[in-house]
Amino acid sequence: MTLFSLARKNIARNLSQYFLYIASMVFSIIIYFTFVTLKYSDTVAERTASSQKLDSLMSGAAVILIFFVAIFIAYSNSFFMKKRKKEVALYALLGVRNRQIGFMLFFENLLLGLVSLVVGILLGFLCSKGFMTILIYLMGYDVISPFTFSGTAALNTSTVFLIIFLVTSFQGYRLIYQFKLIDLFHASKKGEAVPKPSKGVAILGIMLIVIGYWLAMQDLFTSKVWEKVGFLMTALIILTTVIVGTFLLFHSVTGFVLALIKKNEKWLWKGLHLMTISQLLYRIRGNARTLTVIAVLSATTVTAGGAVYGLYYNTNDQVLTADPNTFMYRQTDAKYDKKVSAILPETKYDEAIEALSVTFNAKELNDLDGSGKRIYTVIDEKTYNKLAAIQNKEVLRLKEDHAVILDVGYDERFSPDYKGKTITTKNNTALTFQDVKTQTVLNAGTAGITVVVSNHTFEALQKDWESLTFRVIGVDKASVDLSGEMAKEIPEKGLFSSAPQDFQLALESVGSLLFIGSFLGLVFLAATGSIIYFKVLTEAEEDKSQYNMLHKMGVSSKEMRKSIASQVVVIFFVPLAAGLCHSVVALKAFSGLLMMDLAKPVLIWMVAYTVIYGLYYILTVASYNCIITQNNKTEG
Amino acid sequence: MKPLLKVENIKKIYGKSSAAYTALENISFEIHEGEFVGIMGPSGAGKSTLLNMLATIDSPTEGKIYMRDVSIHDMRGVDLTDFRRNNLGFIFQDYNLLDSLTVKENILLPMAIAKIPAKQINISVMRIAKVFGIEDLLAKYPYQISGGQKQRTAAARALVTEPALILADEPTGALDSKSATDLLESLSELNENNHSTIMLVTHDAYAASFCNRIIFIKDGTLSKEIHRGDLTRKAFFQEIMDVLATIGGEVDDVI
Repeated sequence: MTLFSLARKNIARNLSQYFLYIASMVFSIIIYFTFVTLKYSDTVAERTASSQKLDSLMSGAAVILIFFVAIFIAYSNSFFMKKRKKEVALYALLGVRNRQIGFMLFFENLLLGLVSLVVGILLGFLCSKGFMTILIYLMGYDVISPFTFSGTAALNTSTVFLIIFLVTSFQGYRLIYQFKLIDLFHASKKGEAVPKPSKGVAILGIMLIVIGYWLAMQDLFTSKVWEKVGFLMTALIILTTVIVGTFLLFHSVTGFVLALIKKNEKWLWKGLHLMTISQLLYRIRGNARTLTVIAVLSATTVTAGGAVYGLYYNTNDQVLTADPNTFMYRQTDAKYDKKVSAILPETKYDEAIEALSVTFNAKELNDLDGSGKRIYTVIDEKTYNKLAAIQNKEVLRLKEDHAVILDVGYDERFSPDYKGKTITTKNNTALTFQDVKTQTVLNAGTAGITVVVSNHTFEALQKDWESLTFRVIGVDKASVDLSGEMAKEIPEKGLFSSAPQDFQLALESVGSLLFIGSFLGLVFLAATGSIIYFKVLTEAEEDKSQYNMLHKMGVSSKEMRKSIASQVVVIFFVPLAAGLCHSVVALKAFSGLLMMDLAKPVLIWMVAYTVIYGLYYILTVASYNCIITQNNKTEG
Repeated sequence: MKPLLKVENIKKIYGKSSAAYTALENISFEIHEGEFVGIMGPSGAGKSTLLNMLATIDSPTEGKIYMRDVSIHDMRGVDLTDFRRNNLGFIFQDYNLLDSLTVKENILLPMAIAKIPAKQINISVMRIAKVFGIEDLLAKYPYQISGGQKQRTAAARALVTEPALILADEPTGALDSKSATDLLESLSELNENNHSTIMLVTHDAYAASFCNRIIFIKDGTLSKEIHRGDLTRKAFFQEIMDVLATIGGEVDDVI
């Protein structure tokens, strides 16, 4: 029997054992192949005006993916190898030479890798079509994705994974040399010392997290700390403190809490509580590293996904704020207006707005360029209120000699502090700002920053300043095509602005971001779930004799299920809670930075994440119970 | 006096039709309260099959087992687990202690499962720990104590709820002779002083010599039964050896 055939027979016979390992490899390959296919796809590149940007974005994401996939495969490989140590030891005991065992493991691993590579690329080919459709949909395009196999993508995937497999196979080869025979036999039987929780470490952990949070919550632009320590350094400090703090938290605080519970004998000595709590205490500290990895992965996924989804979610709002009218342009010649009217379908409203372009002396607004001159579009109160009524906005009441400024880009950190400041015209008409609004009634793209003045003042200004006429149009469900046709008819100086056009542009960039964000998020989530799944099931294998003893002792399977479920719930949801907590802080900082309200989209994102994560939990508990019940049946 | 345990014409067949294998046949015996009974026989004689049936983990193909007049294999589900919890105590060859629990917690586990109040638990644990001489080890974890101490902990765990019947499956199998003697003496004491009923499955004649009565099984059937009576342990040991020689079982096939 050659080594190769021994390796092949090994796989064929223990297929169920190998299944999880193969499945996780196939999964990684599918993900990677799909992604690379999209990257090389002509459809995506052709359809996007911003393809250059998208391409570099995709390349960056691909690098992250490789990194991640490599770690994931290494992890499942080591899990898989742990299970096989005994078998390896047996071969050695029976007199198979180390070199032969090493080669056998090497070939076996390589064979598994090749099989999964073929399966993964085939399945990935099928998946890429679906993902392509999603990507195109998210970017707001209306085309059907073609069904083509990308040779470049297959080649790229094969190269990357062959390298990964060679490395893991080599690790398999080294297994026999790394350990003494006795260690291989008792690989899963080492008694771990039960941890003693330390108060000091627990407090240190919490303090580190608090410091990290506090730093993150500081405003990037105004904070002294960020300024002094430097942007990159502060970001690094936040990451380090939070990660180390999380580790110490799992290492000590959880142990501390569980130890406290352990003191309550009345509650503890009832049913399986004793067993549940002790098992957790025993496990959680040895697993602090895994739990930290899970918490950090969850935090990263939720933060990145939440941020991108928040941007996507707010695209519509932002466009609506900047473009309150579906279309708007400055009227210059009646013949263009006629052509536009000919194209237009039924409109909700179609108005001509009288406005002025006024240069103000605005020294009080401490202008950056020093000249103190600012040009604003001016409309009167009457016009504002008419448009506000159409657009469902609040009515404005102006005091005499006062004005309200409409600045959609207003940001209290950078913009001038308008309120109470006075601006003057060259004939010394003074206007004091009574309020600033971040909403406008005229599209910002055409009118710029707008100032609303009283009807009276408007009349006075009208004499000295150039008057403008804007055409504002409201259309229900206007298409990008319609917008394009109109744009052709309107000359450049008409400063045509269109909500559908702006929306399309915003979607293109944010949509691809969202796609990459959710794609990576999905991968991270699946990997996180699988890591816990592997880990918990390894423990189930180790613990099955204990459950068998409980079974003999007269513990009902219902009680055992309950104990298992509550042990696994802690392993799953404690790191999730920590991860969500971290991401809430990160997203809070992010939304503060962008001055955006991300609460709703982030909440949706978190719920989605938790639900999928919860499915993993249910699967894990079910598999755990299955292992225990089966063992109880066969062992008697 | 009514027997505690009554085994009636047990037959156990594994597999089906052509591949069927009869593990036990025609087994009937009784165990009375306060007895210390040994079950002996060579490997493959059917000792473990019998023990599993008494433990209600396996059920016979034919025949019935009564415990205090209740047919234990006619119980189902929750009744069965409750029965096991309230009436049986197990001592396993490989201890089966939980690594995550201290010695004390391991001992009190069955009482916790039976939902006995904490105060009562403390008293019972202290009492049984004294019997097995492990009072000083209570705060330790299983990986900190020796094999013999582990087995005494396991025995204490089996006995702490004062079950009607203690089933010991090769409890000395993994122990050195000193530890084995300590454990067997403790069991013997409990049997004499507390009238605990113990059934010991073993193929070690030395361990069996601590019993009052020994039932020999060979090839799935009862082959002989001997009583200790007034014999000294040494004399009884000799008698066991003689029986083993006549029925042709190996004297000791531990290895």
